[in-house]
Amino acid sequence: MMDVGRHPNIKLLTYSEVEEVSGYVGNFNVKVRKKARYVDENECNACAECFKVCPVAVPDEFQQGFSSRKAIYMQLPQAVPSSYIIDMEACLGNNPIACGKCLEVCDKKCIDYDMQDEMIDLKVGAIIVATGMDVYDPTELDEYGYRSFENVITSMEFERLICAGGPAQGHFIRPTDEKTPKTIGFIQCVGSRSEKRGNRYCSNICCMNTIKDTVLLNDHYPGIEMKVFYMDIRAFGKAFEDLFRRSKEAGVKYIRGLPGEVREDPKTRDLIVTVENTTTGEVEQHELDMLVLSIGVLPRQDGSGIQKLLTLSRTADGFFMESHPKLKPVDAPTKGVFLAGCAEFPKDVKDSVTQASAAAARAEIILNADKIKVEAITSMVDKEMCTACEICYRACPYKCIEVDRENKIPAQIIEAACAGCGTCGAECPFGAVTMRHFTDDQIIAQIEAILDEDPMEKTVVFACNWCSYQGADFAGISRLQYPPNQRIIRTMCSGRVDEDFVLYAFKLGAPIVLVSGCHFADCHYIDANRWTQKRVEKLWDKLEKMGVRPERLQLEWISAAEGQKFAKVMRELEEMRKKVTKEEVEFTKNALKDLKFKREKRKAKLQADKAKAEKVAV
Amino acid sequence: MAEEATFKCLRCGHEFKMPFDPKGPLVERACPKCQSNSVRRMKEEQKK
Amino acid sequence: MADKKNPGKEDDLRIGVFVCECGLNIAGSLDCEEVRKYAETLPDVAVSVLNKYTCADPGQNEIKRYVKEYDLNRVVVSSCTPLMHEPTFRACVADVGLNPYLFEMVNLREHCSWVHLHDRKAATDKAKDMVKIGVARARHLEPQIEKTVPVTKAALVIGGGVAGIQASLDLADSGIQVYLVEKDPSIGGIMAALDKTYPTMDCSI
Repeated sequence: MMDVGRHPNIKLLTYSEVEEVSGYVGNFNVKVRKKARYVDENECNACAECFKVCPVAVPDEFQQGFSSRKAIYMQLPQAVPSSYIIDMEACLGNNPIACGKCLEVCDKKCIDYDMQDEMIDLKVGAIIVATGMDVYDPTELDEYGYRSFENVITSMEFERLICAGGPAQGHFIRPTDEKTPKTIGFIQCVGSRSEKRGNRYCSNICCMNTIKDTVLLNDHYPGIEMKVFYMDIRAFGKAFEDLFRRSKEAGVKYIRGLPGEVREDPKTRDLIVTVENTTTGEVEQHELDMLVLSIGVLPRQDGSGIQKLLTLSRTADGFFMESHPKLKPVDAPTKGVFLAGCAEFPKDVKDSVTQASAAAARAEIILNADKIKVEAITSMVDKEMCTACEICYRACPYKCIEVDRENKIPAQIIEAACAGCGTCGAECPFGAVTMRHFTDDQIIAQIEAILDEDPMEKTVVFACNWCSYQGADFAGISRLQYPPNQRIIRTMCSGRVDEDFVLYAFKLGAPIVLVSGCHFADCHYIDANRWTQKRVEKLWDKLEKMGVRPERLQLEWISAAEGQKFAKVMRELEEMRKKVTKEEVEFTKNALKDLKFKREKRKAKLQADKAKAEKVAV
Repeated sequence: MAEEATFKCLRCGHEFKMPFDPKGPLVERACPKCQSNSVRRMKEEQKK
Repeated sequence: MADKKNPGKEDDLRIGVFVCECGLNIAGSLDCEEVRKYAETLPDVAVSVLNKYTCADPGQNEIKRYVKEYDLNRVVVSSCTPLMHEPTFRACVADVGLNPYLFEMVNLREHCSWVHLHDRKAATDKAKDMVKIGVARARHLEPQIEKTVPVTKAALVIGGGVAGIQASLDLADSGIQVYLVEKDPSIGGIMAALDKTYPTMDCSI
């Protein structure tokens, strides 16, 4: 921590929040609000004179409310920067009648009640998101009695109680009588691995944290009786098992089973824990002086702010999603943004440090280059065709399109930020946007080549580059056999598959068309494949209205690892294809015989407008 | 309690009910019978 | 078939098709020579060549030789998945002065020979069709330029917990200007609130 404060290359902006981010990889513009702390952090030498005279006392958040702090305070004794701050909500204010005592005693005159928030503009090439975690509040689990019984504490509160810098100077005491407990219990998985309350995921750190706590207690107070109630102990990391063994050798009892009920003896304030020991199958009662709830990790509850600023995505559990779960575990989907620590998923100090170093190294690849190459496969706009309707902007997962509907300024792609999914191209109602290297012409030529001979024999398959195309590759690598009737057209993302392409394939006599992409959680373009789903749903309605069986358009999410699924889908589609009759294909072709591509319609309109204008001019 | 809607699998024809929130975020859908993602929400008039 | 070795106007399409046997990986379950012959009949194809391994040096040298000899302006390699060798072949054609985006790949191995091991006729027919589709796309390929943008040599780290601290120090030590933004009055995050940390039982701060 100290190293950060004095490193010449680090500018520390504490009590600050990022409010705006614009730009793109290599060239982000960031606005940071540095909130007023009412004490000049550069001048303050933490002499604590102000602290002594401050008459206000409020609960100290850092000490989990076990002790109090003043209105002028340091967040923690080793704070970096080592400077006081005034909590203005608690402060009585600089009114000679009310208070102003700190101002009087401060020799360095570094207190300023009128300090204002400051806006700071930064230019950076890369961003690392290390926004951390929140902890689970076990109040809702009333069977554990966290709010009802004072001697039930959380593992975070335990940390402060045992700490030499904590409210009891490291004398581990129970809240009700300030005596060191003789028996103590720990309940694991509080808020974790639960289908009903709390979270489904394993919070990763709580098993080892409890094991550490038991070893710590045994070191401080040999002879203290400790019981851990658990469902599994996950001690998988380097040196973890050794520590677990040390804990067991110290006499800590590990009881498999999570308590069903905790009661308090009103006289002694001891706790009576009822638990089914699933090893013996018997219901047991344990009388304990104190109980520690090993609470789980939550994603930051204010995470949506950063998510929006940086166009990140979050998995269903609320943690930020990486670009690829195995191969790009620290890259965020937005180029030039990287993830570190618990923002990505619960992890311990070592893993946080590891990931942080990895994120720094990934960022350095960009930052140590004078210039970086940007994706050549980006979208492009035909300005004349564009009506500035802003639909592309709404569809763009990266918001890398500048367009102004009000002032009729046509869309423009910020190419460095464009990842090339092509959703804008597919969503544009006027055919004004297309993708480099995956142009309408190229894809239409492929559809024509597929269907110009024996169209009844073929299934047209659109597959996204990252998942379903690779799923097909994996089927091949696994030598999974399937009928030879499908023809694959690769796009970068299923979001690129324009309704024109699907309808054109039907117009040329395709019996079955499949649109396939990544599972929702795997989309390589944040959420571009949501647009695929919406579009396919619309097409089902459209086909039905025309009298075409919507079943002939199929949708499938196939990951790169799902070779089995790809082969299965191919076999199923072949069965479906065989059942499509010549008559219904002819009917479809006829129903679509007047199909015009969006861009053709728009061109015709522009030409008509032009002709009209010329006529008027004449 | 989330609203429910009727869905039809366009692969195997299976019809089923699933929670559906028209205002909520899109979710990935799969047929409980054949696991296909070609799952279509049936509107009132299409239910017959 | 386009006129051999006789380049016409500059914008004439002159496509070279290279069919890879991949040892027996492709040739084992479909007739590569039949595919090669078929490719010759496709419009705008100037030359169609069979290789044992197109990706190996001799194969790549053949591509380069034919691009020069036949003045090819599009190259279609019918071999394996582009996820594997597209970068290889893009670099190969770039070596002889062709824009790498004028290269197209047909995935005969993963998407055909390996998944239709037991029906040689059907696999060969499908392979021919796939080459036709690849050539159809190749006709519409356009050169692309990978643009470059300058980089601001500074990083923003959001969050001053253990991860943010470590990332900041690593970046700063490698000479990069770092802005570390922390919401609280002090850095340290959750870690600073811990007493000891496992597995080494040392102090958190």
